[in-house]
Amino acid sequence: MKRRVVLVDDHELFRAGVRGELGDSLEIVGEAGTVAEAIALIRELDPEVVLLDVHLADGGGEGVIAGVAPERPGVKFLALSVSDAAEDVISVIRAGARGYVTKTISSEELADAIERVAEGDAVFSPRLAGFVLDAFAAGERVGGDAELDVLTSREREVLQLIARGYRYKEIAARLHLSVKTVEAHVSSVLRKLQLSSRHELTRWAHERRLV
Amino acid sequence: MNQMSALLFERSEHDRVVAGVCGGLAARLGVDATLIRLVFALLALAGGAGILLYFALWAYGEGWRTWAAAALIAAAGAILLLALGLSTTAVVGATLLVAGFATVVIRGGSLRPGGSLPILGVTLLLAGAVIFLGTNGKSGPFIVPGAVVGALVLVIGPWIWQLTSERTERIRIQERAEVAARIHDSVLQTLALVQRHASDPQRVASLARRQERELRRWLYGSGVAEVALLVDALTDAAVDVEELHGVRVEVASAGDAALDDAVGQLVLAAREAMTNAAKFSGADEVFVYAESGQDLIAVFVRDAGVGFDRPAVPQDRHGIAESIEGRMKRAGGTATIVTAPGQGTEVELRLPR
Repeated sequence: MKRRVVLVDDHELFRAGVRGELGDSLEIVGEAGTVAEAIALIRELDPEVVLLDVHLADGGGEGVIAGVAPERPGVKFLALSVSDAAEDVISVIRAGARGYVTKTISSEELADAIERVAEGDAVFSPRLAGFVLDAFAAGERVGGDAELDVLTSREREVLQLIARGYRYKEIAARLHLSVKTVEAHVSSVLRKLQLSSRHELTRWAHERRLV
Repeated sequence: MNQMSALLFERSEHDRVVAGVCGGLAARLGVDATLIRLVFALLALAGGAGILLYFALWAYGEGWRTWAAAALIAAAGAILLLALGLSTTAVVGATLLVAGFATVVIRGGSLRPGGSLPILGVTLLLAGAVIFLGTNGKSGPFIVPGAVVGALVLVIGPWIWQLTSERTERIRIQERAEVAARIHDSVLQTLALVQRHASDPQRVASLARRQERELRRWLYGSGVAEVALLVDALTDAAVDVEELHGVRVEVASAGDAALDDAVGQLVLAAREAMTNAAKFSGADEVFVYAESGQDLIAVFVRDAGVGFDRPAVPQDRHGIAESIEGRMKRAGGTATIVTAPGQGTEVELRLPR
């Protein structure tokens, strides 16, 4: 049974490219180019995974997630973009995307990432791992929900290795862990990123914009 | 933006006593600010007209609607004329004259042949002139200078109007030219190269990636051509290596650092490590990760390729010994190379801040 995927990207050319590359390994059930289109389409088709561009003409990818997630909690989102703007990527992840990959990713890796997201894993590209480390590093903690607001040293270690280009399997071998444990650490980081109400993230985003 | 630059004057940021209106005017007219302040002070004695005028110009400089500023100016003028002893009727006439002229100017009417005159403006002008001239007897001395000033304003007004709109247009054309030049230097050149190398997918891919990064930095980044930050410099190096050796170089980062001499050396060392990975590892992907903290910058360059037996590499192999380790040492940092045959290679560069 092939994974049912919806493509959301405002560039038709890019959608055509992805369809051409991935058409065999999964089933692309629909495509949308705007936030409004995407919300209607996803509600109608109820796909397993939505491949979601961070930037859309009428808003960010987080608008799509916000419009769909309450009604279709089972739909998983994988963000993808060419943009380097850390705060944009982080805000899509915080909105609920299960991972982020860059558009330059090879088709096998993309297919693999979609599969992992569909199974409930988090997919962190090296770039996202860097952004997340950066976001959590900014600002010292005072009060608040300490457990959600800081990364454990193990989580930090795992993220750093992802940023350095290590695959989960290699990280597991290096840290003497099982691959499942590595995945659990990444999911835990994702959960913290999404649930933490820390104001530092906002402040961090502001600081980045000002730099 | 264009609207701002089309203002006849802007309040002065540095030459200011109250709000910088006089300073701004002085700068615009090229006279001493003290002189302008003196004029305003004198006008202020004339029934407070100077104060009102000051507020009007301040409002104009703040980008208020032109008609609001014009109304304030008109009120100031009226007070002034009253203070000079004109009859109320004459003041009403003069005010109508000014209002009519302002309407003509604001609505973009041209007094040149063929130009369209707004009916409202002309009506106000005529009514003003009739009332003003009707009070001839009481305000005789003002008729002649008033007529001269009126004529001057009618002649010069449209011309000033035209000048400002031309300036706005010129700025727009300039901006367009800049964008066009940028697109030409980058995108069009790249497209030309892509056509020439259409049969070489790897080259096309690396050209596209390079262009994408450049354009993105221009659009979302500082917009400045010179690279001043570590991550930008590393990305540039990565793109060069991609282009020269046809491998993908993925750059990730947490934090960023200003590019000083030592950091520049760090970038060069990282570039050398990328080149080595691209040339010798056999891997088709190289990962670069830069972490900039309070007291340490660390850059990791990694490939999952063949690796090598470090002790077996001759000491005189320039690349690693000199370009990476020697360079880092001179910059006050360290380089560590972790590798083994079949294990890939990771070069770790550290630079204390």
